[in-house]
This record gives sequence, C-alpha cells and structure tokens, in this order.
Amino acid sequence: MSEWEPKIVAFLCNWCSYGAADLAGVSRMQYPPNIRVIRIPCTGRMSPKFALAALRNGADGVWVSG
Amino acid sequence: MLGYTEKMRGIASRLLKDCSVEMVIGFRKGSMPMMNEPCFVTTIEDVPSLIWDSNCGINLANYLTNRKEKIAVFAKGCDSRNIVNHIIENKIKRDQVHIVGVPCTGMIDKRKIAGMVKGEILEVSETDDTIKVKTADSETLFEKTEVLQQNCTLCIHRNPVIHDEMVADPVEEQTSLDRYADIQKIEEMESEDKWQFFEDLLSPCIRCYACRNACPLCYCPTCFVDESKPQWMGKGQDPIDVRTFHFLRAYHCAGRCTDCGACERACPVGINMRLLTRKLEKDCQEQFGWEAGLSLDQRPALDVYQTNDPGTFIK
Amino acid sequence: MEMMGIERDRLHMSWVSSAEATKFIDVVTQVTEAVRALGPNTRFVKQQAKVA
Repeated sequence: MSEWEPKIVAFLCNWCSYGAADLAGVSRMQYPPNIRVIRIPCTGRMSPKFALAALRNGADGVWVSG
Repeated sequence: MLGYTEKMRGIASRLLKDCSVEMVIGFRKGSMPMMNEPCFVTTIEDVPSLIWDSNCGINLANYLTNRKEKIAVFAKGCDSRNIVNHIIENKIKRDQVHIVGVPCTGMIDKRKIAGMVKGEILEVSETDDTIKVKTADSETLFEKTEVLQQNCTLCIHRNPVIHDEMVADPVEEQTSLDRYADIQKIEEMESEDKWQFFEDLLSPCIRCYACRNACPLCYCPTCFVDESKPQWMGKGQDPIDVRTFHFLRAYHCAGRCTDCGACERACPVGINMRLLTRKLEKDCQEQFGWEAGLSLDQRPALDVYQTNDPGTFIK
Repeated sequence: MEMMGIERDRLHMSWVSSAEATKFIDVVTQVTEAVRALGPNTRFVKQQAKVA
C-alpha cells in the first residue's frame, strides 16, 4: 500500500466555505485532495454529534468551516 | 438541618389547605437507610410522610419538567438553580412553582459511608454535624464534613437563589474553595494519559442511563442514545460507544449543569462523570464568566453572541 | 475533546467567506498538514465486528 494519507471530513457552510470551495474549483486552483466535503445549510446546523460520528467512523480529522 | 422536617410539614399543610398548590414535592423515608425518595404529596393526610435530612440528594427540579399544575417544591441551593434553568428553558412557568427554599449544609455520600464501615448498614441517624452509622455489630460516628458528597464539599451556592419562602435562615456559604483542582490535574496530563484515564474511569459503565434519568437537564423527548435514524451510537458496552454517550451527555449539559451531583449519586457503579460536566462548567466560568442558574433575567452563555467572545480557536 | 484525550488538531474550525478561494486553499492545506502530522486516528474509531 502506498503512503498513508489523512482522511478529513469537512463540514462546510453552504453560503461561506462551500462557496469558497466552489470558487476555488472554478478558478482551477490546486489544493490537497484529502478532504471529503459535507455541505450543511449553515454552520449552525453543526452538532457535536456530527464530529463524533465522523471520528467514530474512521475519519482522521474533522474540519468545520463557516 | 434537623428542625426542617416539622417546618416543612407545616408549610406543606398550609399550602395544600388554602389550595394555593395542587402538589407538594419533597422527600420521604426510603425503604433502605440513606435512600430517601422523592415524594409527591397531594392531600393533607399524606403530609406527615414528608421528611428532611442529609440524604435528600436527588434533584427535585427533575420532576417539574412540563408539568401543568401549580406545584410547591422544596429546593436546596442546587435544586433552585435547576429550577431557574427550567424556567429559562420554558419547561415550567415561574408562577406555576412555589419554591420553598431549603438552606443546605450538604448531602452525605452513601457510597463513601458504605466503604468506611464493615457489614450491612442497618440504621443511619444524624445530628447537626455528625452522622451515626449502625451495622449489625458496630456503631460508628462520623463528622458530617468527612462523608459529604464531593459536589457538596465544593458547593458555593448552598442557599437557594430564588424562593418564595424559606424554611430557615440562610446558612453560611463556603468561600475560597479550589473547586477545580482535580480537573486541572487532568488538563495537565498528556493526551495519551487523558485517554487512558477516561478509559479506566468509564470502563465499569453498564449503560443503564441512570445518570441521564436523574439529571434535571436531560429532558429531551427522545434522547440521542435512543435515536435509531440515524443511530449515533451502538447500544452495547463497546468502550467507544460508552465514551460517546458520556461525552455527548456532558456536552448537552454545557453551560447548564449546576453540579448538583444527581448523576454521580444515581450511578450504580460509582462513576464520577462529573469530571466531564465540571470541565465544561469551568470553561464557561473562565471564558464567559457564566455560572448556570443564578438569575432569571440573564440568557445562558451559549445562547448569546458577544463580540468579545473568545474565538482564537477559529482560523 | 482535548480533555478526554482526543488530539487537539483533529478538530478544526474556520471562517471562510465565499469569495475567499485563496484563504480556503490555505486552510485546507493547513488542516491537512496538521492532521497528517498527527497520523492515523486510532482512538475514537468504532471497530466493526469482523465478519468471516
């Protein structure tokens, strides 16, 4: 197996970071491919349950961004 | 606290007689020593079953959730703070509860006592500052201060914060306590040791949810542990599931917990889960200067946004 | 979480506006590096029962 890569679950707010991610994509910028994006309607939708659920299911990191 | 019982019965009869309340919540003697149980008195004939001593550690605010009738409740310092919480969280209306304040000098820890004497405890009696424990073949006298529940030794709100009447004059509050010495010790540990520490702490947990049921804050119609769509955690005793449960339960109490000790008291295996809730209490205190359940006019710390809220953890 | 012994760098929070694509990339890189430095998450993972 090749070298270990971290798996990061990213909870992105629809209106902020998700937009930023979209813009980054449209602008063809390069960034690490380790994040798995989950779009949430607002960072207020975030709950500690989500972060724990991600870690429980084997994520190496959790990133919440509004 | 010895003379309280008579006064309480007097107050209860008066309130029931003039029909200003439909129910009085207090304590009656339990079937075993040191196990007083909550008691719901609706008729004057039942008033004599009410008692008060140092075994009334259960938090009576727990029984007020979503009640519709007018209720009188005997409230220690911690109970009264939880009643404030309940009112703020719209679980009961202020004019529905007649709060009878009970100045409290602490409740005794039955587990501690059971560990200090040999054999089955047959009878426990008390004076103002001593506790006498009788077993089949011995009699031991303890200073009350040495057998108090840990949260009572660290209590800084012994007198009720709101009340409609008081059973007795306020008792002296404890000051200059180092309330978080044990929390600080854990905070200073290495990450790995912390993990191990909680692994050991939580390993006896049998997931009976007694802590949740005893807690006046835990009134969600469906608790996250019972949800199955999505299922946040397994139902078994897998250490990770146990940890998730305790962790999330503590989080639900952030900024609300009054450290009444009901959870630890209810635990059949004696886990000190208050280490988790008190950490959050400490953080609230340090970061927002917030203590739960002290006033009806202030919104809880996690309810409001202020521009000077600490935010250095945000990139 | 830190109190319980989950490494601090496993959880990140940030504010990125929808117009800040460059900041987004900076943060992704930072987060990835921080987690990479920690190594695989072994603590809070629920082990699924092995089925033969």
